[in-house]
Formats: sequence, C-alpha cells, structure tokens
Amino acid sequence: MSAISVIPERCTGCQACEMVCSLSHEDACSSSLSRIRVKKWEEISLFIPIVCQNCEKPPCVDVCPTGARRRVSETGAVVTDEKQCVGCKSCLYVCPNGAPVFHPSTKRTMTCDLCKGRPLCTEICTVGALSYIRERDVSMEKKRVYGQVFLQAMKSR
Amino acid sequence: MIKGWTGKRLRIDLSLQKAWLEDISQEVLRQWFGGRGLNASFFSTHFQSPVSPSSPENPVAFAVGPLTGTLAPCSGWTSIASFSPLSTPPIYGFTWMPGYFGASLKGVGVDQCVLQGKADRPIYLWIDDGEVRFEEAGHLWGKETTETTITLQEEKEDRNIEVLCIGPAGERQIPFANVIHRLSWTGDYLGLGYLFGIKQLKAIAIRGKKPITLHDPKQFLNLCLNLEDRIQKDRKVQKLKQGGKLPFLSREGETMIKEGTGGLRAGLAKQWSAFLKTCVSSREGCFTCPVNCGRNIQHQESYFRGIHLEKAWHLGPQVGVYNGEWTLKLHHLCQSQGLDPFLTSSLLAKIMKGSEYAPLSEEDLRQTEHIEDPGEKAFIILQRIINGGRKEFHLPARPASENKHLDALADIISFCPIVVKHLTQRTVSNMIDLIYAATGYFLSKEDLRDMVRNILRVESRLQNMGLDANDHSPLPLPGESQTSEILRREERNNESTAQRTTS
Repeated sequence: MSAISVIPERCTGCQACEMVCSLSHEDACSSSLSRIRVKKWEEISLFIPIVCQNCEKPPCVDVCPTGARRRVSETGAVVTDEKQCVGCKSCLYVCPNGAPVFHPSTKRTMTCDLCKGRPLCTEICTVGALSYIRERDVSMEKKRVYGQVFLQAMKSR
Repeated sequence: MIKGWTGKRLRIDLSLQKAWLEDISQEVLRQWFGGRGLNASFFSTHFQSPVSPSSPENPVAFAVGPLTGTLAPCSGWTSIASFSPLSTPPIYGFTWMPGYFGASLKGVGVDQCVLQGKADRPIYLWIDDGEVRFEEAGHLWGKETTETTITLQEEKEDRNIEVLCIGPAGERQIPFANVIHRLSWTGDYLGLGYLFGIKQLKAIAIRGKKPITLHDPKQFLNLCLNLEDRIQKDRKVQKLKQGGKLPFLSREGETMIKEGTGGLRAGLAKQWSAFLKTCVSSREGCFTCPVNCGRNIQHQESYFRGIHLEKAWHLGPQVGVYNGEWTLKLHHLCQSQGLDPFLTSSLLAKIMKGSEYAPLSEEDLRQTEHIEDPGEKAFIILQRIINGGRKEFHLPARPASENKHLDALADIISFCPIVVKHLTQRTVSNMIDLIYAATGYFLSKEDLRDMVRNILRVESRLQNMGLDANDHSPLPLPGESQTSEILRREERNNESTAQRTTS
C-alpha cells in the first residue's frame, strides 16, 4: 500500500495542490472544494498541507452513523459514500487530523480518495512537500536527514 | 455565461462606507482582457484629466486576469493602478504585485476592485466572500506591518486570510511608502502606502473561496499539467528555481561593476552575496507557482520573511552598504514600516553620496555626520526620514522596461513577468490554449498583439494627459522592430497553432 507523505518543512504554501484537487474532482478552482488544505503561519514561514492519512483504525468509520465512511480496497483510501452520507459532520469532529472537509454545495463530507491510485497533488508539488510513496518508506526521508546530521557530527569529531 | 472571468467589478466608496457590484460585459472583458487592461479601461472611461492623488476621488484599482486564482502556473499576480503621488504633475501610474491577493480577489467573485473616497477615521476593509465591511482600525494605527497582519488574522480567527496593509510610513503619508502583502510582497513605484494613508485605510483583509468556473475544465487541467512539466524542464527556470534570483542578481551586479556604475567594489559585493546565501532558510512562492524564486531569511533567531534578492541588492551594494547584516536590517525596516525598497534605495544612495539633503533637517545631518559605518548611517538616516515628517522628495520613475510588450502581455493575463522573461519554451500559444480552455474565447496571435498595443496606447495617453489634456492626436504605433521577442519567436515556429486552428 502507498500513502501520501507530507513534509511540511518543504511546503512553500503555493496552494497548487488545492487547485489541482478541486479542479480534478469538482471541475472548478477553489480551495473550498479541495480535499487537501494548506494551513499557513506566514510570519515563521510555516505551511502545513493537511490531508486524510487513511488511518489503519479510522475513527471516522467507527463514528459514521449511516456507514457512509468506508475503505476502498484497491487503494486503501477511506472515502465517503455520497449516497449514504447525511452530512452529520461526525467524521469532522472525530478526525485527529481535522482532514475531512464539508462540501459547500452538496453538503456532504469529503476526504482524499487518492485519485484512484495516482494523486495529482503529489505530481504537481514541485518542492517535494507531498509525495506518494510506499507506506514503509514514509519515515525514510526523516531517517535520511537524521543520518546526515549524525554523519556530520561524526566527521567533525 | 462568462467563464474564467467573473464579470463583476467591486466598487468601494470609503467616504460613504458603501460597496456595490457592477457588471463588466463580456465584450469589455474580451477587449481589455484583465489586469492592466481592465485598469486602463476603467481610468480612460472615468477620467478626462488626472485628479490629485490626495483627493478622495482618486481611485486605487486592483485587477486580475482570466487565469488568476486557477491552477494555471505563475498566475498569481495582481495589477494595481492609480494617479501616482510620485511625480508632479500627477500622472497615471500602474504596478503589479506578486503573491496571493489576486487569487483571493478572484475568489471573492470579482475581476476588479476600485477603492474611492476617504474615510473620516482609520478603518480597515474586511472582504469576506463578497460581503464588504468597514471596520474600525484605531487599534491597528501605528502598528508595524507584521503585527497588523497577525492581529487581523487572529481577530478573524482564520490564519488563512490574506492581508494587505500599510505600516507607520504609509500612515505618515510618506510618498514612497508602500503596501505589504503576506509580510513580503509589495507593489512598487506607485506610492500605494501614501494613497492608503490619505484614505485612512490601514489594511484590506480578504477571504475569497468562491469556485472559479472554467469553459473546459478537463482540457484546462491537462494543459496546466503539461505546462507545469515544461516549466520544470526548462533549464533557465531550473536555474531560477535552484538559486532564486541570486544568479541573475550577481550577473546584473557584474555588469554594473564592469560598467563602473555606482562605484561598486567587486570583492566586497561577492562577500555580501555570500553572506546572504548563508542566511537563506527556506523558499517562498506565489500562488500556484512551480518555481518559488523567493527566499526566506533567518538571521539571529528572527525571520525576515520573504527577502527578494533584487530588493536586497538595492538596499546593499547599491547604496554602498557591503555589510550583509545591515542590509538585512534595512530590508526589515522597509518591510515593517511599509516602504518601497527601490525608491528608498535611490533616495538613500543620493543622500549617502551627498548629493541630496532635502529629506533631512540640519539636526539630522549633524547627528549622522560622524557615523562611519555606511550600513549604520543608512539605517539611522532612514529612521530619521520616516520620523521626520518631511514630504519633499525627488524620486525617480520606474526604470524603463526591457520589453514593454512582454511585460504588458504578462500583466494583462496576470502572469509572472519574471518567469515569462526567463522562459523560452512557454510560448504565446500555451497562453492562448490556456485562455481558450478557461474562457472559451479563442484569441489569435494578432488579436493578442493588437490588444497589447491598444493597452499600451491607452496607457500612454493616460500618462500624457498630465501634460496636455486636450491632446487627442493618435499616438505612434510601436514599430515592427519593437514587437516583443516572444511574439516574433512564436511567429517563426507557429506550426502547432496553425494546425490546431485549421483542425
């Protein structure tokens, strides 16, 4: 299984991921229609893309009163079935990441569906803040950075 | 139904505290397109002669293009126009500002926003998805730009809103004051800070999330992805991406050193840029930009958000300051006080050389005479100018553009002129395809060229009316040799466009 890995340190807050998400899913450009949201703190240059992490034990599935939240077996994405969703927003409240968003016109919740296995946001992100990689490689980048720090320290001894 | 554009103009009267929407017809949009074109059209229809920049009726117009706020790469720019206080007699001035303001404006559901009038007390505008509110800004008056931005965002309990504000320099109506957006971007060479200060408008806080509908969304998505890919592969853009504007900057610096302008010293300039490089902490980019040429600076535990290297150059070697730390301090002062770095630089350079004394009082001169470090001297002089309250400055006009056709072309579509300039592969046909997919309006290259010429003509007439308002004689058309390089290059290998048009 693959997952979207987020490295906030690299994000420049350009919102291209929001635009490509809303354009490909909703045929219109707006951050309110996007399943990924970039939160910003510009005074310290911190930008954090928030997207559904498709938890192993998704609380949104447990809490959904109509059973609309379910996992798609092909991609492993946890999505909302629009026909069953009643818009009660339980998944919004229970999500530890705050990832689900409320569609302003259909009044249903929506989360990342991994674009059927080819997430466009990871393709459009040119700074490498978002990438679609195997789950076991998600922490690889952190390990590599840590390894380099360690290496430098050893060299300078 | 209008696609790509929104077909609305937001008119705001600060005196009456009223805001209303006006329709912009499809014909007008197709004739003037957007950005700079829409602004030129507004001014030419509403003004027969220039008005005083300090008068309430002097409008400040913001406009965006049909691709702003969409996925189109590098389309985050905003065009701004007004009668500028920087010259006497006042003339029509225009500028452009990178960042996110344009995208938010489009998200509010308007193509153009025109501010007129004058508030009777300090206010700020809160534009929330089409609802405009005039709110008290007494508590913000006197605050620096960073604090203003953060305070407004905290007040609205949404850190994702965009803020455009002036600093104390704008409040004191210093002619070269500027607006600051996202603590980083500015609209230069227009005296915007002064205009906001005169109108007693401290800030514009904006949240725009309305969907922008497109003529052919699927095609648009594909074109954007293709273009993004091509931009990524372009060698010049890769250079811009990796080094920010620094490689271009040092080249500019080298030519200046060779030409001997400004008495630059090569070795020191190199040291200066090496120091700045060590302080770069992260990148910043405009809305949907794949290049991210801006750099953030972290120095001594404090962030100098968004340093634009050409601005740093103007506040460094250009004014004789070869100490990187003082450059950063000067840059930070400009940013927090809301000053135009280019105009500040030209003023400081003259003062440092000793050819200009007017902005300083005799007391100021006595106090700064003995300071030996040029960086410290420039910093203290600038502080004294801000607090001095003098209004007479001799400020230069914007340096002539290398290619005004190309700049105008970029500006009417609200594209990034920097990327357009450094790009060889992004041709006019890419833009035409994108515009077609967004708006459903197919432009030929000739249409585009005529449009650019027409806009330049109207602008030139608007600017000349300061000299003689009755002169309506036709202005000379730009010669064929002046036609933009990109248009000519496109003409040489335009097979793809021709094929597509026939099919």
